[in-house]
Amino acid sequence: MDFGLIIYALNLASIYALMAIGVSILWSSVGLLNMAHGATFAVSGYGAWLITGFMKPIIIASFGKTAFASFLMASTLVGSALISGAIFGAIIYLLAFLPIHDKPNYAVRGLIITLAINIASVQSLLYLFGPRNRGLPKIFGFGRWEVWGTKIRYDQAGTIIGAIIILSLTLAWLRYSRRGLEVRAMMQNSEGAAYSGISRKVTALPVLMLTGALAGMAAALLSQTIFVSPTSGSIPHIMGVTIALLGGLGSVPGAVIGAILIGFLEAFIGSIPFLGQRYVMFGTFSFIIAVLVIRPRGISGLLDDTRE
Amino acid sequence: MPEILKLRKLSAGYGPLRVLHEVDLTVQNGERIGLVGLNGHGKTTLLRAITHMSGWQQGSIKFNDVEIGGSRSIGAGRRTPKLVRSGIAIAPQGDAIFPGLSVRKHLECGAFTKLAWKERKNRIEKIFDIFPPLRSLEHSLVGKLSGGERRMVSIGRMLMVEAKLYLIDEPSLGLAPKISNGVMEALWKLPVENAAMIIAEQNVNLLSGKVDRIVGMHAGRMRGEVGHVSLL
Repeated sequence: MDFGLIIYALNLASIYALMAIGVSILWSSVGLLNMAHGATFAVSGYGAWLITGFMKPIIIASFGKTAFASFLMASTLVGSALISGAIFGAIIYLLAFLPIHDKPNYAVRGLIITLAINIASVQSLLYLFGPRNRGLPKIFGFGRWEVWGTKIRYDQAGTIIGAIIILSLTLAWLRYSRRGLEVRAMMQNSEGAAYSGISRKVTALPVLMLTGALAGMAAALLSQTIFVSPTSGSIPHIMGVTIALLGGLGSVPGAVIGAILIGFLEAFIGSIPFLGQRYVMFGTFSFIIAVLVIRPRGISGLLDDTRE
Repeated sequence: MPEILKLRKLSAGYGPLRVLHEVDLTVQNGERIGLVGLNGHGKTTLLRAITHMSGWQQGSIKFNDVEIGGSRSIGAGRRTPKLVRSGIAIAPQGDAIFPGLSVRKHLECGAFTKLAWKERKNRIEKIFDIFPPLRSLEHSLVGKLSGGERRMVSIGRMLMVEAKLYLIDEPSLGLAPKISNGVMEALWKLPVENAAMIIAEQNVNLLSGKVDRIVGMHAGRMRGEVGHVSLL
């Protein structure tokens, strides 16, 4: 495997990790399998597209085509995607969590409502913006670095570094903040959390906003490689859910390991001449099924190293 | 003496099953009450109903003269965090632990008030004084602890904030006599001048002479006060 393939694999893994961690945290803490995570991705992409489209002439008129203007554009794109994702997360909280969180069969109802939100959102985006792909400004610029004889595109390097920064911040928040501790407690025992005065109703809002923002970040980073379209969130969503399962629902390190494994597997299968891109999905899903048959809790199930 | 808890005609259960049948109980300030009864006769359900964790419930529960009961058929646990924050602390059966957290982080989870969170280091030190074996396990995962150690962590978490009413469900369950005696000794040391405590327990020997009253439960009904001698 050459160095260029490793960079491509890490690039895929970055996007998948951002999506998978969102699904994993949300399911294990709030108990909601968010089928609207793909819609969050798409809505964030369009949010970023609208805001950067509005801000671009203003920034260029004010600062010209300087390095500072490029930095402002990058900040606007990432910020608007994060905020759009977080706002859409809050909308999911209002529509799919708040009305049903204390009702019987909450998990199934939540799944159905978020699926409905997903379909309605994608159709609304199609109605409002049409099926055309939209290109977002290239925040990392055009160009390549040459490392060990391999050319790495700026957007690939930017995506990997951006994802690592956001994931590190998320992990630090979970590990060191009080709200993060509450989320981790809820992920491990919701009844125990209730007995500790931790309210799922209160904690669900920041969790949904955080996971929405993670999907937004994934959209901002992926927009540097491919275009934004109403259905652009479906593949990242499917990969996010399956990688979250592969890593072990509730395990953030598991989701990261799963994302890296799948990223490398995709890159590897795609590079085999007699298989190629056609067999990428087949290969990755066969691998995920095989792992889940052997380890039903996934690679790093939350309770693996504890007593029952 | 003011009443901390007053139950009137409290019924509760799970789905079609009715476990509690119109239970009446009054707990005064400063009282330690032992709740005894055979397995499956409603001790745990009574404690769960007070914290709104039973499947459904109806009847009056007055906590500090505020009505927290009423009729409910769904939403188990919805009001529990609010009740816990209002001063009802519970160490449930099965401990309800967070297996992936360290002992220290687990105890921190119990410090949900602003004051308790600010003083959490001192409070954890106090818990370690009450349960000395936990000190050396401070950074161990709770999921890797033994049953007795988990009990200590569960009760320790309950003690991270001052409560008005302590509910402790079978503190000796599954523990060796020496360990359960240690856990009970720690409970007797808790000051309850401005609070009250209900301990559901099957081993009457552990309660005898230590609590102010022992009340019996049979088939989901209160059987009134039980003499120590008649139980032994």
